[in-house]
Amino acid sequence: MASLELSNVRKAYGATPVLDDVSLTMAAREFVAFLGPSGSGKSTLLRIIAGLETADAGEVRLDGRRIDTLAPGDRGVAMVFQHYALYPHMSVRENMAFGLRNAGVPRQEIAARIDEAARVLEIETQLDKKPGQLSGGQRQRVAIGRAIVKQPRLFLLDEPLSNLDAALRTRTRVELAQLRQRVDAAVIMVTHDQAEAMTLADRIVVMHDRAIQQIGAPMEIYGRPANAFVARFVGSPAMTLAPVSLLADESAFAAVRLGEGARIETRVPRDGLAVGAPLELGVRPENVQVVETSGGVPEAKVELVERLGDRTFVYARLADGLSITAEDAGGSRVRIGDTIGLRIDGAAVHLFTPDGRARHAAAAAA
Amino acid sequence: MLGAMLMAAPLVWTLLLSLKANSELMRDSGTAFSAPYTLENYRAVLQGSSAFRWLLNSLIVSTGTMIGVLILCSLAGYGFARLEFPFRRTLFVFVLLGLAIPEQAVILPRHQLFAALHLHNSYPGLILPGLAGPFGVFFMTQYFRAIPRELDEAAMLDGASRLRIFWKVLLPLTLPAQATLGVFTFLAAWNDYWWPLISATRSERFTLTVGLASAQMNYAQTSGLGFLMAQAVFASLPILIVYLLFQKQIVRAIAGTSGR
Repeated sequence: MASLELSNVRKAYGATPVLDDVSLTMAAREFVAFLGPSGSGKSTLLRIIAGLETADAGEVRLDGRRIDTLAPGDRGVAMVFQHYALYPHMSVRENMAFGLRNAGVPRQEIAARIDEAARVLEIETQLDKKPGQLSGGQRQRVAIGRAIVKQPRLFLLDEPLSNLDAALRTRTRVELAQLRQRVDAAVIMVTHDQAEAMTLADRIVVMHDRAIQQIGAPMEIYGRPANAFVARFVGSPAMTLAPVSLLADESAFAAVRLGEGARIETRVPRDGLAVGAPLELGVRPENVQVVETSGGVPEAKVELVERLGDRTFVYARLADGLSITAEDAGGSRVRIGDTIGLRIDGAAVHLFTPDGRARHAAAAAA
Repeated sequence: MLGAMLMAAPLVWTLLLSLKANSELMRDSGTAFSAPYTLENYRAVLQGSSAFRWLLNSLIVSTGTMIGVLILCSLAGYGFARLEFPFRRTLFVFVLLGLAIPEQAVILPRHQLFAALHLHNSYPGLILPGLAGPFGVFFMTQYFRAIPRELDEAAMLDGASRLRIFWKVLLPLTLPAQATLGVFTFLAAWNDYWWPLISATRSERFTLTVGLASAQMNYAQTSGLGFLMAQAVFASLPILIVYLLFQKQIVRAIAGTSGR
């Protein structure tokens, strides 16, 4: 059964549109991440679902019930704010109890729910402290606890990890994933961090320019980006996009030529592509291999080497000026200023038509 | 150090004079620096004069003004900081313009108005003018604005009504500002002389400032300098207590920090 349904949601601030006709359906207990750059409309969409903003048009339904006409407190949703938004003058216990008291939950049940949440989140010893006495990670847990005790049908997480340091962020990410298994509710998380989205979400909603660009499972978004924006935005380092021209031949698959002259045989079906049409070729670093310069492969000059231990990213420039990113082994000997050969795996590349839409390799489509 | 001594000198002088017998001071006020000292003047204040009545009046007027200002300015500050209503900005500018209007400019029409409403020689007559505080409104508005909106939103999602958000979430967070504004309002009302002088013409409605001044006016007939000074010390005790209790808030307010 569908948990959350958004139909044709639209929103503008004055003359500035921020959401154009957004529709989305979530399954029960599904974890969905809204991923996009600043200003893409993802936070606005979250706030519309929460009831903190009103949509100009469209409907929001939760478990079949229309909620966009209800007050935020009556919607059956709980939100974890980016800056936690804990009430500074209340103890942790009071913070967690506040919403339940407003809802008229009996005193004993409030205590039971708080104790249970505190146990799960390992904050039992913090219950009588004020938020100001807690570390960032502890505050984060309290904010999550405040949401959990309400037993909502839908959790809304607004950049929940962005205020934590790198180590704590990774740990909390794991904890969030574990916690998610325990709660019987759907979860929406807004983030601009693709690693968070990829590791936590069942599906990712990539947003840009006021609209949903693609909805899909993390590996689908990564492996089969719907358009050039998604291709560039998801993946780190970003996918290399290079202008190419389609070559005329008899093959069922498109063959293209890079600006510097190299020919690449792709596995993208040729159907519907016009010879000579300006296309963009997209290739991820792991599909560009560093090789010896001999053997008719494109040559490039190394501009930056990023050593991560288990692998090395090589940022190089082709003869026609195009920047390209390649992946090499952890023990790579490539140095800045070297001239290297690059082997592009034609079976793994994507082609993007002038309107930005993607064409993927046939094998991957199966 | 020298500055502090200069500031303290008149206070010390007042205190010493209040502890001397009037008959001695009639001869030479220089005797204040030498024994014998006596509490006779204080006894006279406590037994004889209307100082207690005036003190009570001052307490009622100052406390009443303070409570009224805190309630009105908190509500107005919340309104200007958080609510959307037509002409909000314009109205706020009008409130701020109130800062530029000196009391002297409105005192005559105010006197006429209060006379017409038969409010002179009454507590409301002494309290009401003090409630119109553009500075307090401005101060509280700024303070409410500094509280993150996320707190309101979290409370909305917690199912709290607007009144409950104001009362349970935001108002407690403004306590430092309330303390500062409260202390300043109390002191201003306590020290106010002009309006009580105009409005209260009967001794039983005098505030301490007006009462003490009235005692000084017939200096020739007064029981003496020591008695006057004892009254002055007596009058300043409550204000001294307020200063001591709220020292932190006063210093913070003057230093311009919110102290949160």
